[in-house]
Amino acid sequence: MDKSSQHDLDSIIRLFDSSDWKEIYVKTDSLEIFISDNPESRLVTRSLIGSEEVSKSEKTIEAKSIQKEVSVDESSEVEIPDGLVAVRAPNLGTFYRRPKPESPPYTDIGDDVTETSEVCLIEVMKLFTPVKAATSGKVVDILVADGEMVEFDQPLILINPS
Amino acid sequence: MAIRKVLIANRGEIAVRIINAAHDLGIEVVLAASQVDSNSRAGRLADRVVVLGPAPSKASYLVPELIVHAALSTSCDAIHPGYGFLSERAALPRLCDENGLIFVGPEASTIDALGNKVAARKIAQSSSVPLVRGANDVANKDSAKREAEAIGYPVLIKAASGGGGRGMFVARDPHDIDAMFDNATKEAKEAFGDGNLYLEQYIENARHIEVQIAGDGMGKAVHFGDRDCSIQRRYQKVIEEGPCSVMSAESRDSMRDAAVKLMADLSYRNVGTVEFVYDIKRDEFYFIEVNTRIQVEHPVSEQVSGFDLVKLQFAIANGDLDVIPCQTQIKIRGHAIECRINAEDPENGFRPSPGRIETWSPPSGVGVRIDSHCFSGYNVPPFYDSMIGKLIVTGANRDVAIERMAGALEKFSIDGIKTNLKMLSGVLADKRFHDNHFGTKWLEEEFLNSENKDGET
Repeated sequence: MDKSSQHDLDSIIRLFDSSDWKEIYVKTDSLEIFISDNPESRLVTRSLIGSEEVSKSEKTIEAKSIQKEVSVDESSEVEIPDGLVAVRAPNLGTFYRRPKPESPPYTDIGDDVTETSEVCLIEVMKLFTPVKAATSGKVVDILVADGEMVEFDQPLILINPS
Repeated sequence: MAIRKVLIANRGEIAVRIINAAHDLGIEVVLAASQVDSNSRAGRLADRVVVLGPAPSKASYLVPELIVHAALSTSCDAIHPGYGFLSERAALPRLCDENGLIFVGPEASTIDALGNKVAARKIAQSSSVPLVRGANDVANKDSAKREAEAIGYPVLIKAASGGGGRGMFVARDPHDIDAMFDNATKEAKEAFGDGNLYLEQYIENARHIEVQIAGDGMGKAVHFGDRDCSIQRRYQKVIEEGPCSVMSAESRDSMRDAAVKLMADLSYRNVGTVEFVYDIKRDEFYFIEVNTRIQVEHPVSEQVSGFDLVKLQFAIANGDLDVIPCQTQIKIRGHAIECRINAEDPENGFRPSPGRIETWSPPSGVGVRIDSHCFSGYNVPPFYDSMIGKLIVTGANRDVAIERMAGALEKFSIDGIKTNLKMLSGVLADKRFHDNHFGTKWLEEEFLNSENKDGET
């Protein structure tokens, strides 16, 4: 199962958990899932080869371990769409979009950047370290709000490589 | 101010131990972990995990600024350093002070003063704690030889700022000093950033005995008995037990009193350990150093005293000083033994054995305690210390404890990685261990050597 499927599965399980539904069946391109309240219940109308089947009694543990796997692969739960490259946090710190509070942002959505372009600052105890794009291309998203704490390896900015 | 939320800047079993103590006290926990540890048992138990940096500790657990930044960003009001890593580096409590955070440990100045072996000896001396004969003024080979002559061979060459056994050499004559001096300087510089060396009297068949202390920071200190940590390999403790059972009652009392007086004189705050070397033949003890942190082997003292030392750490940090018991309220009962379970291969030079633990099946029963972060399926990362858990047993006396430990080790099953379980069983079954007839070199120089010979025949 790839990361996005794990993420989807996790979301579906949580949705089911907070609902009063008895059963749920979801099918997408990458995922087919049947969840039931009843441990004896089986989806018999069709074959479920390669799909996920989780009874509610097992669901909590399952959901927890899936959630943790996702958080290990990515510090935040942000998915990186195919073809895009993320600029990631080099360490834990506070994310800043501007070199100084009164300055314009280093970069904005739609801007072109090169590998050596500085795109943000990470601050650790008043020590500010510029972060470079490391990829040439167009900025398509900024994933973190100015002044927010970020963790190591967390995706900060999405670039569409040129 | 009461601690509501603590950041734990550590990993492994001690992170689990501290999280449980904090939760018992109603304190919320943020675990500051390296990336590889974010999914650990401690990570699952903590209320929140923040990833400091990548796996290598020099980019994560050893960066005080990252840890304090993480604590401030997650609105923690305290930091618990655990042991190892930054626990004995004054930089962390100093940064805490500057940023209004409570450091669960001694004051920065205390850590600084006791962290340097030369300074610590002076402090001990001023509190009339007996010292091994030693010398600070060893700037070159000639002065080292002169001082060694005055002390009497054999002498131990150590890094002035060192600890944990690194950069230590035994010199038995002036030729050894010629041969070792430059290398010792180099190792000291590489390991501790300070090439200054220190010489001391080397005691053959020494026992390592330490006294567990808690102090209120205002001149009151009490002890929680002593621990004998003489089963060591490469200056790393392997088996610890308490109380020490080879000491005369008079020596034990005066050692405990000396430790208490030293820490009271220092107005020591929080828990700490005064380490001594004990010369069985002469029935004399000498000061080694003070460890200004909770130690790996603290459960031994908890088991025989009945006090929870980690909770006590939080209480002291919180200013709840009336929680510290009076000396008369601390009764040492029975005997406890701790074995450190390591992911290593004793049959291949104790090479670390990281990897996935297929089966983790610890023993249980009367007087059996396991402090560990492991579980079936856990991946022991290759980046850190190889300790994967501690098995602690308690019995009415040493014989009962030994029997319990032997049985517990027998029942302990760990598959998927190599461990030292079998070696520990061998020690527990050895007559020399039973008869209490060993020194700090016994495991390495006699037990492991004879085991190897047996293996060859």
